[in-house]
Amino acid sequence: MEPPNLYPVKLYVYDLSKGLARRLSPIMLGKQLEGIWHTSIVVHKDEFFFGSGGISSCPPGGTLLGPPDSVVDVGSTEVTEEIFLEYLSSLGESLFRGEAYNLFEHNCNTFSNEVAQFLTGRKIPSYITDLPSEVLSTCSPVLPSPSLEPDQLYPGLSTTAEQRDHSMLAPAFVQNPGMCLSHCT
Amino acid sequence: MPHVITRTPRMAQGGRPARLPADKSTSSSVTQVIIKTPGKQEDFTIADDTSVRQFKEKLSAHFKCQVDQLVLVFMGRLLKDHDTLSRRGVLDGHTIHVVIKSKHGSRSLAHPTRNPSTKDPSHQDRTRQGNSTGVDQPASVGHSPVEPALSVEPDVPKAHTRDQEVGRPEHLTQILEDASTQRLLSNTDLMRQFISEHPDMQQLMQQNPEVSHILDSSELLWQTLELARNLAVIQEIMQIQQPAPNREHPRNPQSRVGSESIPRVQNSPGQGSADFSDEMLNPSQDPFGGNPFTALLGGQVPGQVQSSPPSPPPQEWGEQLPQLPTTRVIYASSCAFSSITPASSTPDKSHHTSRAFTSTNSTNSWSHTGTVEKPAGIPVLPSVEVTQQPQAEEKDAAISLDSSGQKLEDALQLSDEPSSSPITASLMQLLLNNPSLAAQMMLGVSMPQLSQQWRQQLLAFLQQTQLSETLIALGNPKASQAILQIEQGLQLLATEAPVLLPWVAPYLWGLGWLPAPSCSYPDTVPWAWDTPDMAEPNGPEACHKSGTVLQRLQSLAGDPAHLLQAPEIRFSKQMESLRAMGFGNQHANLQALIATEGDSSAAILRLRRPQAF
Repeated sequence: MEPPNLYPVKLYVYDLSKGLARRLSPIMLGKQLEGIWHTSIVVHKDEFFFGSGGISSCPPGGTLLGPPDSVVDVGSTEVTEEIFLEYLSSLGESLFRGEAYNLFEHNCNTFSNEVAQFLTGRKIPSYITDLPSEVLSTCSPVLPSPSLEPDQLYPGLSTTAEQRDHSMLAPAFVQNPGMCLSHCT
Repeated sequence: MPHVITRTPRMAQGGRPARLPADKSTSSSVTQVIIKTPGKQEDFTIADDTSVRQFKEKLSAHFKCQVDQLVLVFMGRLLKDHDTLSRRGVLDGHTIHVVIKSKHGSRSLAHPTRNPSTKDPSHQDRTRQGNSTGVDQPASVGHSPVEPALSVEPDVPKAHTRDQEVGRPEHLTQILEDASTQRLLSNTDLMRQFISEHPDMQQLMQQNPEVSHILDSSELLWQTLELARNLAVIQEIMQIQQPAPNREHPRNPQSRVGSESIPRVQNSPGQGSADFSDEMLNPSQDPFGGNPFTALLGGQVPGQVQSSPPSPPPQEWGEQLPQLPTTRVIYASSCAFSSITPASSTPDKSHHTSRAFTSTNSTNSWSHTGTVEKPAGIPVLPSVEVTQQPQAEEKDAAISLDSSGQKLEDALQLSDEPSSSPITASLMQLLLNNPSLAAQMMLGVSMPQLSQQWRQQLLAFLQQTQLSETLIALGNPKASQAILQIEQGLQLLATEAPVLLPWVAPYLWGLGWLPAPSCSYPDTVPWAWDTPDMAEPNGPEACHKSGTVLQRLQSLAGDPAHLLQAPEIRFSKQMESLRAMGFGNQHANLQALIATEGDSSAAILRLRRPQAF
């Protein structure tokens, strides 16, 4: 019997606020947030993530976000690329359609969590998945901040609502001091 | 079941059973596992010593799929058939992920080395097509050039439902996407050998010796396969392939059938029209350098459009290509550079027509093309269904009428043989007999809402003159000068007294004041000619348009390549600067830029000028 091939599975974590959240969240939200996390799963030399355009992929670190702020080793998997792509496509038809994207309930981190469990049986760190509830538990919803120009955050992909939403959140710290981040989708 | 099925799978890392069956003892004989498929999860109860294989059989009955389609993943490990669940550490409450592969390849393919180990499930082998170590085939599952084309095939089935259909196409897909087939096909040497030695292929190569070079270049091969996948393209090729009696064009030295005579054209829709024009300007270019079918694709529309009034039959399209920069215009337009501006008014129509032509895919519902105006790239182009010869002929005839603008000299040459073939005559007859069709074509399908009146007028205009006469007249430099003067007068009129525009509307039509060199101005198109009040707001745009037509005419003999470039492309920089300055109305920006021939500051002045005169 041939030895199974093990493929490393990594979680790329991006802080969309680029450090601003850590500095300004105590002031604005009343609690400390370390960042606005966007995650993606990297396996088989590809980065996979979920946005309002559905499940997408790119070369690792190939989004406009640049290199990840941190990389979490999720484990390793025997799942081959073929099986994985099949799995992703069925996910994309069921749970993770583009229109299913919800900034708080069903976002990129939800996807990363799901995929991580499929690939390795492990979940992603809880500080990432707990972010929406953390934010939602602060103050009442407020106007969304003027977003950054929804240019292509992800090269070659149309701007997704997630990116817009994320970009809304990030400048929210800067442009709407004293206002909450909650973005009603 | 006494348990509540939760959506979140349980973390089973610690191996601790998350739930205990209330009505069963936590004996080791039975395990309750969560089976998770993308989209849902269910509980399953199985005996501990169940082998994976047995479990799969159970699941296949449950999910209505074949056992081979199932892939079980537990803690990131693929569960093999010979394992037992307990041995893999599956305990109560653990989650096993299930992936149901789509349309699994049939085992009927005789690849003896596919299953090196009887123990390993065959599906595991297939799933590891990229990693299998047990395959003896010489295939290099690498980055073979054939694979890109083929890999699209497996991509497609991935989106398919998991339900297994026994339909022919699905079956075929199964076979194709089977890993062993993939390996076989990805062996380029093998495939080349197969193809080369096929008797049909050899026959083809004898007839077209140059075709063999396609096989030598992976790039060409891939492009060819891409093109071949498009049925419409094949149809086009078939039509063009018919040998044409007319080979009077000296600039077409090649003697290959159909595709040979078409100069090489880049396949990419992203190609600027300038590139295309370069291609076209070198008719003697070695066609071997490129993919003749790509060229064919690129040349199809030109071929269709290029014809002069005598409108060589479709079969002759191929040869007509080299000398007609009109084709370049049309092609570029077909490639969704919507604002290619032919030199004169009739090329405007042809421009629209060709786009309409390429974008229409129904019988005579020209209105459809209006919706396809937006750049769609190559996909628009191959979407032509020239399924009906008469339809194609009609198109040809009409297009031939229009396309003479760019190189009228050449058109004149061609027009010297008005009855070069009986087909031509029939085409002309057809066109004249179907005035509505001709009118529709002429008007550019970008405006489905054109008034009937307009069409009638244009139709009358057409019928009053022989087509060839019209084109010859346009070729007369003095005539074009006169047209210029008329346009200038109209422009002046529009400036001074826009209310009078509807009165002169018929003349404007005849002069080709059709909307837009590009279809990107659809909103200015419906000029409700019969409503005077619309004339005023349209006045400024009329100015812009007349300006463009004038410019087109003026630069007819000037800089074709420059002319052919879409205004949007030419002025892209200026557009950027205008936009940066805060002029948000792209449309108006472009109009202004066109009117000022790219002079940003003049355009700004124009834009700042109040629009209502």
